[in-house]
Amino acid sequence: MNTVKTEGLTKIYGSGNTAVTALDSINIHAAEGEFVAVMGPSGCGKSTLLHLLGGLDHPTRGKVLINGQDIAEMTDDALTELRRREMGFVFQFFNLLPVLSAVENAALPIMLDGVKPDEAKVKATEWLTRFGLADRLANRPDQLSGGQQQRVAVARALVSEPKLVLADEPTGNLDTRSGDEIAALLRDVSQKYGRTVVMVSHDPRIAAYADRIIFLKDGKVIDETLLEQKNGKNAEMVAERMTKLAN
Amino acid sequence: MNLNLMLASRYLGGRKLRTFLTTLAIVFGVVILFGMNIILPSMMQAMEANMKAAAGVVDFSISSVSGDAFDPAVMSRLEGIEEISAVAPSFTRIFNLGADFLDNDPDSPDRITAIQLVGMDPDAVQTLRAFPISSGRFLQSGDTNAAVISQSLADAQLLTVGDTLTLPSVNGLTDLTLVGILPPRTLPGNEEVYTTLSAAQEMSGQPGRITSIDVNVALDAADQEGRDAVAAEIQSQLGSSYTIGALSSGTDVFAVLQMSQAILSMFGVMALFMGGFIIHNTFRTVLMERQHDIGMLRAVGASRRTILGLFIAEGLIQGVLGTIVGLALGYLLGVGILKAAEGPISAFVNIRLDNPVVSPGIVLLSIVMGIGVTVVAGILPAVRASRITPLEALRPTSAQADFERERGRGFWVGALLVLASIIMLFVGQEAMIAAGGFVFLIGLVFLAPAIVRPVTDMFSVLLGRLYAREGTGEVARGNMLRQPARVATTASASMIGLAVIVAVGAVLTSMTGTMTDVLRQNLGSDYLMVPPSIGLWANNVGASAGLAEELSAIDGVGPVATTRFAGSASDGVAISLLGIDPAIYPQVSGMAFQEGDESAYEVLAAGRAMIVNGAFLMATGAELGDTLELATPDGVQSYRIVAVAADMFNAKVTTAFISQANMAADFGRAEDVLIQLNLEEGAEAETVDTEIRAIMHDYPQFNTIAGRAYVEQMLGYLNAVFSALYFLLAFLAVPSLIAMLNTLTISVIERTREIGMLRAVGATRRQVRRMVTAEALLLAGIGTGMGLLSGLYLGYSWVVAMDAFFPMSYSFPIAGLIAGLATGLIFGALAGLIPARQAAKMDVVAALRYE
Ligand SMILES: Nc1ncnc2c1ncn2[C@@H]1O[C@H](COP(=O)(O)OP(=O)(O)O)[C@@H](O)[C@H]1O
Ligand SMILES: [Mg+2]
Repeated sequence: MNTVKTEGLTKIYGSGNTAVTALDSINIHAAEGEFVAVMGPSGCGKSTLLHLLGGLDHPTRGKVLINGQDIAEMTDDALTELRRREMGFVFQFFNLLPVLSAVENAALPIMLDGVKPDEAKVKATEWLTRFGLADRLANRPDQLSGGQQQRVAVARALVSEPKLVLADEPTGNLDTRSGDEIAALLRDVSQKYGRTVVMVSHDPRIAAYADRIIFLKDGKVIDETLLEQKNGKNAEMVAERMTKLAN
Repeated sequence: MNLNLMLASRYLGGRKLRTFLTTLAIVFGVVILFGMNIILPSMMQAMEANMKAAAGVVDFSISSVSGDAFDPAVMSRLEGIEEISAVAPSFTRIFNLGADFLDNDPDSPDRITAIQLVGMDPDAVQTLRAFPISSGRFLQSGDTNAAVISQSLADAQLLTVGDTLTLPSVNGLTDLTLVGILPPRTLPGNEEVYTTLSAAQEMSGQPGRITSIDVNVALDAADQEGRDAVAAEIQSQLGSSYTIGALSSGTDVFAVLQMSQAILSMFGVMALFMGGFIIHNTFRTVLMERQHDIGMLRAVGASRRTILGLFIAEGLIQGVLGTIVGLALGYLLGVGILKAAEGPISAFVNIRLDNPVVSPGIVLLSIVMGIGVTVVAGILPAVRASRITPLEALRPTSAQADFERERGRGFWVGALLVLASIIMLFVGQEAMIAAGGFVFLIGLVFLAPAIVRPVTDMFSVLLGRLYAREGTGEVARGNMLRQPARVATTASASMIGLAVIVAVGAVLTSMTGTMTDVLRQNLGSDYLMVPPSIGLWANNVGASAGLAEELSAIDGVGPVATTRFAGSASDGVAISLLGIDPAIYPQVSGMAFQEGDESAYEVLAAGRAMIVNGAFLMATGAELGDTLELATPDGVQSYRIVAVAADMFNAKVTTAFISQANMAADFGRAEDVLIQLNLEEGAEAETVDTEIRAIMHDYPQFNTIAGRAYVEQMLGYLNAVFSALYFLLAFLAVPSLIAMLNTLTISVIERTREIGMLRAVGATRRQVRRMVTAEALLLAGIGTGMGLLSGLYLGYSWVVAMDAFFPMSYSFPIAGLIAGLATGLIFGALAGLIPARQAAKMDVVAALRYE
């Protein structure tokens, strides 16, 4: 079954002369355990798409189905709960709470869900340990490198064992090496832990870590490609395709 | 620990400096509110006692029906009556003196033929009456045969402190030592000699007895029902052999009391307003930067309730902490202020200022305000934050758009309010004008974000000059313009603080200014010949025109102005008519014109015209320009009102001034009851003085006073009364200024990260320091500008509103404005100092990581 699916998803900002159609009748899906990348030039509507998938914003037309359920029919509280239990977010700017330690930041979603802080921290510690941050648990965000902060954000996205992880330019703020590490980590999230991952990026090298790439231009899906993770030439291939599509 | 509490305490702990400053704001809010309101009763009591003392009255005076002395044990029956705030026994007895008892000169009849001996318990009496000693000291409980008398009695007897006053008594002549002098007696009745209770009892041969019990109650002057109830209660406790004399409403003293209570209540309300605003404002500042965190929390699954809970928890922690500290500090400050005020005040007014009165009501109110306002101040923005979608909070662009919308709406609301307040000003109705002041202030708060840009532009011209070669002024200006909301919030804090200071200052200066003017103009002549009872002219024996001519004839005496009196009535309202010579009067004396001007004097000379005072208008319902029929011994005559003016002697008496010619023609009166004269320039002061006094010796019904000295003494007395108000003003001002400093500091701290960025791109420490200072100055400048503007309006509106109780004209508070401007900018610079140093010292890497 598809973890996430859209039907004629459209988003128009503003009205009249100044109206911007950020998304135009998008029909996409991501299957359980699949790693999907959404690619396209800046301003093509990638972030808008991700926000709609996460129920952070309301579509102008069309539907978003999570586990087959139309999220437009849910109340704000129900949607909040859905985000807490079924989704994890990773943003470009790490969006950790500056006053909490790494482990507390990672434990936040399940603490919000009512899990006792001690228990929550045990779970968060497990994830942070898996991501190589065992010796950084008590550090505050400003004491961590960008790559480390983003790993905490990924741990936070996974701590509630969600089915879906949404990542908006998770490597946009990182150097090449840290970027690769995070992309590989997200790949693990789908391969090893079986989550559905939808990642937005404009970087072909990063998108190349996905199972499938959806190309977006001016709010429309213009192409789609499946990737074989066996051969190492994916990045060049994706880049070539991008340039071709751009013209 | 609950998650909300954990997050709250983390936020508080993670931002120690800011938490400290925010809590400090709450502390100041509570300090102002609590401190001010606990010292108000003491101040009120002092002021009331003072006013009453000036008029020689207390709320209730109990004596026996037969007029005999009685046993002081009766006082214990009053103990159960809650409303009674002070009780003092006294023994009063009139001693008739022989015609030449005092001056030992059988040829000249004594002016003083009887004195009233008043024996008092010095400690008890000072809890309900004030004795404005002008030299020496007041009676003390250990004194034996000590006395305090008025300046007029002392002058008549040529006595000073330390001299002996000999009075008859049942034990033969008794010598009393003068320990203090009170101001001259200006009220009708016998001169009083104050002594201790035991001395008075001894001299009258009635040891252990008293003749009356004076009682003051802790009730509003306006609360007539409550007063009646207390009188009834006292009567039922004492039985029918005692009678209760009560201070009746409608008297002058009541009017003055009501006015002072109105002023003090105004201080209380201001304290409430300021306290609440300081707390709310600080919270708004702090919350503005939390938008982003809220968005993130919402995105990872925090519900609206969680967000609300977080802010309530945070508000509660700070509110409780701040309130506790605020209550403690407020109390200490209250005690301190009263202690500090006691010195200057008691130099003139011998009144005990007790420790602050802490009523459960005010403690409760302070707690509710401190915690309540903090929580509400936290909730309001949090509710708004929890309403917006997480997306909006995450996207700075849309948050900005949201703000623009808000600003647009705020602008119109503000513009409407300001417009309304200006209309209210022109309606001319006092209540409207007073309310208009507040409407104006609130309107400015709304308008603030919209006027940030123009005002910033204006100030940046100035800053550009100051920082011409560094380019940092530009950066500071840019910072302002990028975040008008934050700037507006910070600036409003300064604005409100300064507005209140300038406004209250304006009221006080106008009040003292008006009184000083009237005093100077009215009594500022070189010599005043006053009758024993000023204001109640009918009781006085005057002099024929011959006296004025005689005085005029002295070499060195300039113009001599006389005032004559005739009783009249218009439509059943009794009127005190005063006849002046329109040509001479303005040269020697004068009045404060409220409507019309000095040219009215000429009109008086020309026909049947009169200058009336405010009390006249109120009593008759007439207006400027109306013609009224005045009763004369031979029917009625029509007089037209040509001006409205106040003079010192008749402020509260229904009075009209007409020309002496008209008074002679219509009322047949030509007796001078008051004489004022000036000396010619270069006159031999001493010789003239001797000659004047020689002539006046034959007119003992007049008290000859060197006018200017008298005015200075009265002014000193007046200042003492107002010093209490200035202390209250200081109480409002100091915490508000510190709060302003606080807000400015917070707003600069928030920009730590940007400052780090500036350092990273090559700004020197010096440039950063200068930039932060420039920004603080800009912020303070905007706030100061708006504060002074609204302070002027607010002050004006209050003066106009208060004019109804008390004739006063608005004096433009130039000194207040300059002081306000200086204070605003100095505090701006101070506010920049700490963060500027911190910013300059800041480790670039740490700053960049600061969130
Ligand atoms: N809140 C908004 N209001 C108006 N237009 C917006 C808003 N958010 C995004 N847009 C517009 O929608 C388009 C898609 O934006 P976005 O989804 O952020 O693009 P991407 O993430 O691919 O760079 C852009 O043209 C952008 O300007
Ligand atoms: Mg984007």
